[in-house]
Amino acid sequence: MTARAFALKDKIAIVAGDNKFWTRPLVAALAAAGADIAVIAKNSSKLTEAVEAARKAGRKAIAIPTEVTSSPQVKKAVEQVIGEYGRIDILVNAADVPFFQPFVDIKATEWDKVMDYNFNSVMNFCRSTGKQMLVQKKGRIINLISGLAERGIANGTAYCVSMGSVLQLTKALAQEWALQGVTVNAIGTGWFSESGNALDETLARYIPEKRYGKPEEIGSLVVYLASDITDFTTGQFMFVDGGLMAHA
Amino acid sequence: MGTLDGKVIIITGGGTGLGRSMAYRLAEEGADIVVAARRIPPLEETAAGVRKLGRKALVVSTDVTDSTQCNNLIAKTLAEMGRIDVLINNAGIVRGERPRPVWELTDQDWHTGIDVNLSGGFYCSRAVTKYFVDNKRGNIIMVASGEGFRGVRNNLMYTVAKAGVVNFTRTMALTLAEHNIRVNCVVPGFVDTFEYQPEEYQKAVAPMRAVRTSTRLFIPVGHQGKPDDIGYLTLFLCSDASDYITAGIFISDGGGLAGGFATTGYAPLVSLKEGLA
Repeated sequence: MTARAFALKDKIAIVAGDNKFWTRPLVAALAAAGADIAVIAKNSSKLTEAVEAARKAGRKAIAIPTEVTSSPQVKKAVEQVIGEYGRIDILVNAADVPFFQPFVDIKATEWDKVMDYNFNSVMNFCRSTGKQMLVQKKGRIINLISGLAERGIANGTAYCVSMGSVLQLTKALAQEWALQGVTVNAIGTGWFSESGNALDETLARYIPEKRYGKPEEIGSLVVYLASDITDFTTGQFMFVDGGLMAHA
Repeated sequence: MGTLDGKVIIITGGGTGLGRSMAYRLAEEGADIVVAARRIPPLEETAAGVRKLGRKALVVSTDVTDSTQCNNLIAKTLAEMGRIDVLINNAGIVRGERPRPVWELTDQDWHTGIDVNLSGGFYCSRAVTKYFVDNKRGNIIMVASGEGFRGVRNNLMYTVAKAGVVNFTRTMALTLAEHNIRVNCVVPGFVDTFEYQPEEYQKAVAPMRAVRTSTRLFIPVGHQGKPDDIGYLTLFLCSDASDYITAGIFISDGGGLAGGFATTGYAPLVSLKEGLA
């Protein structure tokens, strides 16, 4: 159930770039709050699942299979959304490809690929969607990233840099578009699992709430940030992590 | 039906400003509200507003700098409302009557500033914690300030206490997580609380208001916040939909802290003529 003040009735939301497990719960939450949906991501069965989830909630939904690291392809996909719905109110970027190797062993092509997926794809979406939002004088961009945007981890250079880049993009864009009604915020995720696995002892000591997050627990904060009542909230990094970042 | 149906929520400093907004926004979603502060008339006004929304309201006269009164607030709420779901430690004062130079601050100035803005939150939280532990569930929301993240000229106790509130949040959250008690913190930037102030206050500040709202000059989004910006943020944190969120620091400040805009009104701009060549 969505609080009345957070309703997204008839808003148009793009869920972009995810190839992990965020698309379906994000789409379900946004659609339950009343938004119509466009999913833009690499082609997979997850796209059809997400479209079905939105339609089940009684909302319109389209899926546009897209190579999100390609700027022209993203531009085309976003134009297709505008053609279909006439506007874009909400963009949720959820690109997240894990990559962990010792720094000296990382090949240039691997480094570029991590940056392409985790950062350049987000930049592509912010640029294409942002143009439309600036015309509308209103928009909500929410970048789903990792807590590692702010913390370091051994063997995580490429991943940390890619996530940190999205965080700084978030902060700088928030300033640049602050007077034009477009807010840009980031959500930092901790440890999530689809399957409801129990934690091993090390992780249980590490995560204050002593459990994995369930992917659908990201939904309420995304809906809150996407709603009309958050026009004073921009450039922020908020965590859904069971308390992890307070001591990690 | 609302997302907070059946919940009982205590708001300290609930008579005016942000506290009143929280009371209304939470009551709209079905919560019964307990408001606590020193001055009774504003509390009664908030309570009347809550009742108009069809919810129960309880007024408890409380000076949060006195731990006995904080204990009483919790006990009285349990006696009259039967339960507590969320405690919102919102009471605070931005500054004393007038700023004094550091060397003229009295012990009393220091203690008042720290007690109202930091100790009060501790006293109320301590008083409710045992109940939350026995109940195997609880939710505490702290209210800090953007000034808790930066230095501010001539506002010593407030900035120190609010920085304390931020780390109070984190350590309390980590300490109480195993008891299924969440602790989060909301951080307002410059919010114009005029609409939720008592009449006599409105009359007094009206002439200064134009000056105050000029602070929007260095707020990136170009305007001050509304009390409801924070009211709705607490609504999000009160609801069970935020169950995996604890120890969180939630800033709503028009982009100020993220941009490094100082409270001096100075905002850096870079030349667009710099090229890559």
